[in-house]
Amino acid sequence: MKGIVQLNIVQFSLIYLLLLIILYIMKRSKINQTKLLIVASLRMTVQLVLAGLILTYIFKNPHPIFVIIYLIAMIAFSIRRVLSKNKGINRNFKIALSFSLAISGLFVLSYFVMAVVQVNIFNPQYTIPLAGMIIGNAMTGVTLGMKTFMESIKTQRNKIEALLNLGVTPKKILLPYVNNALETALLPTMNNMLGMGIISLPGMMTGQILSGTLPTTAIMYQIAIMIAICTSVCLTVFSSLHFGYMTLYNKRNQIML
Amino acid sequence: MESMIISTKDLSFNDIIHYQDVGIIKNQVNFIVGSSGTGKSTLLRLFNGTYSPSQGNVFYEGQDLNEIDTIELRKEILLISQSLYLFDLSIRDNFIQFYEYRGLDAPSEQEMRRFLDLCCIPFPLEQDCTTMSGGERQRIYIAIFLSFHPKVLMMDEPTSALDKENSQNVIHNVLSYCKENNITVIIVSHDPNITEQFAEHVITIKRRESQ
Repeated sequence: MKGIVQLNIVQFSLIYLLLLIILYIMKRSKINQTKLLIVASLRMTVQLVLAGLILTYIFKNPHPIFVIIYLIAMIAFSIRRVLSKNKGINRNFKIALSFSLAISGLFVLSYFVMAVVQVNIFNPQYTIPLAGMIIGNAMTGVTLGMKTFMESIKTQRNKIEALLNLGVTPKKILLPYVNNALETALLPTMNNMLGMGIISLPGMMTGQILSGTLPTTAIMYQIAIMIAICTSVCLTVFSSLHFGYMTLYNKRNQIML
Repeated sequence: MESMIISTKDLSFNDIIHYQDVGIIKNQVNFIVGSSGTGKSTLLRLFNGTYSPSQGNVFYEGQDLNEIDTIELRKEILLISQSLYLFDLSIRDNFIQFYEYRGLDAPSEQEMRRFLDLCCIPFPLEQDCTTMSGGERQRIYIAIFLSFHPKVLMMDEPTSALDKENSQNVIHNVLSYCKENNITVIIVSHDPNITEQFAEHVITIKRRESQ
């Protein structure tokens, strides 16, 4: 296997020409999102160039503190994203969400890096990219789970009130919504696993193959990351909702939505 | 002497609604009336502990509500609220679902029939509740809740979706059942005809501005 062809800046710039095709089609179809396409492409470029520079520096000067800072920043941004999409929830629910995301993500990441790959957790080459995939997917999962949960309890107010008036405990009333939301959050990841290898060659595997890794090694990493992602989504959503729903009622068995 | 089953003292909710002290007479039909916005529905929720007062106390059988387990309380003081809910299932399965939530075996079909007849529902138990009218659903909801044999039955605008004839019949039957079984009744109603005809004790909630 040969290593990857290094791109020079001229070769690299050629890819941006494809954007012209999108712009042309958008114009013809009267889609008013040309500004978004340009802003998104620019933002992506700037963010990734920065990430590339930072990672290059960290890989050249590996030090645990860089890995720790990178992880903290990653977790902080993902928590901020999730919270910004769930502004209506109470403070304790937010705390439950934040801790669940941080702890579940770090647990699955450490297991992957230390037990499966068996390298030092402060090895940036493994920990940083894997953390991105694990925490990023957990963030998407918990956003979907929270959306399902909050929407269903909001549309089922009458049911919740009827059962509360009947003397049913808040736990018994709310738990079915927790379980249902967890199921909804897990489905995309599991469906993704179903199509893997046939419908698509996943991003991480493609990247490894491009850079010269044997496909047999690449598939093992891909399988491992998929199971790790599924676990972190499951753990994050489960603990967010389980600790979170308990903040919705008090000792007097009153539900506060 | 008439004994009070529920009474209140210096009750306020959210520091917006201030109630005069009221008493609910045991084993009687108590009506709560008053113009809208005076907090009648809220008062019922303060009685069953789904809301807490910002000030003052509610007493049930002489005991402060704060000292009573609210789940057990709500089984005894049953509130049939205005915003009703039925599962998208048959009448029979609705009984089964509500009883399952309470951790009880569903009543026999004979029992179900008895309560449905009280509420003027002549339909077979297999009938799907989703296709029924608002009034029919309201009557089924009342029938199911009544079948739980509470000590106090609170109904918030029980006839809001019913026509005049049905209102008369349902209220008459439900109240007779409650009399026979020593169930105290509290009804919030805007309908002066119903109030005049059935009330044994009327409480008028007056608007009281913040003091």
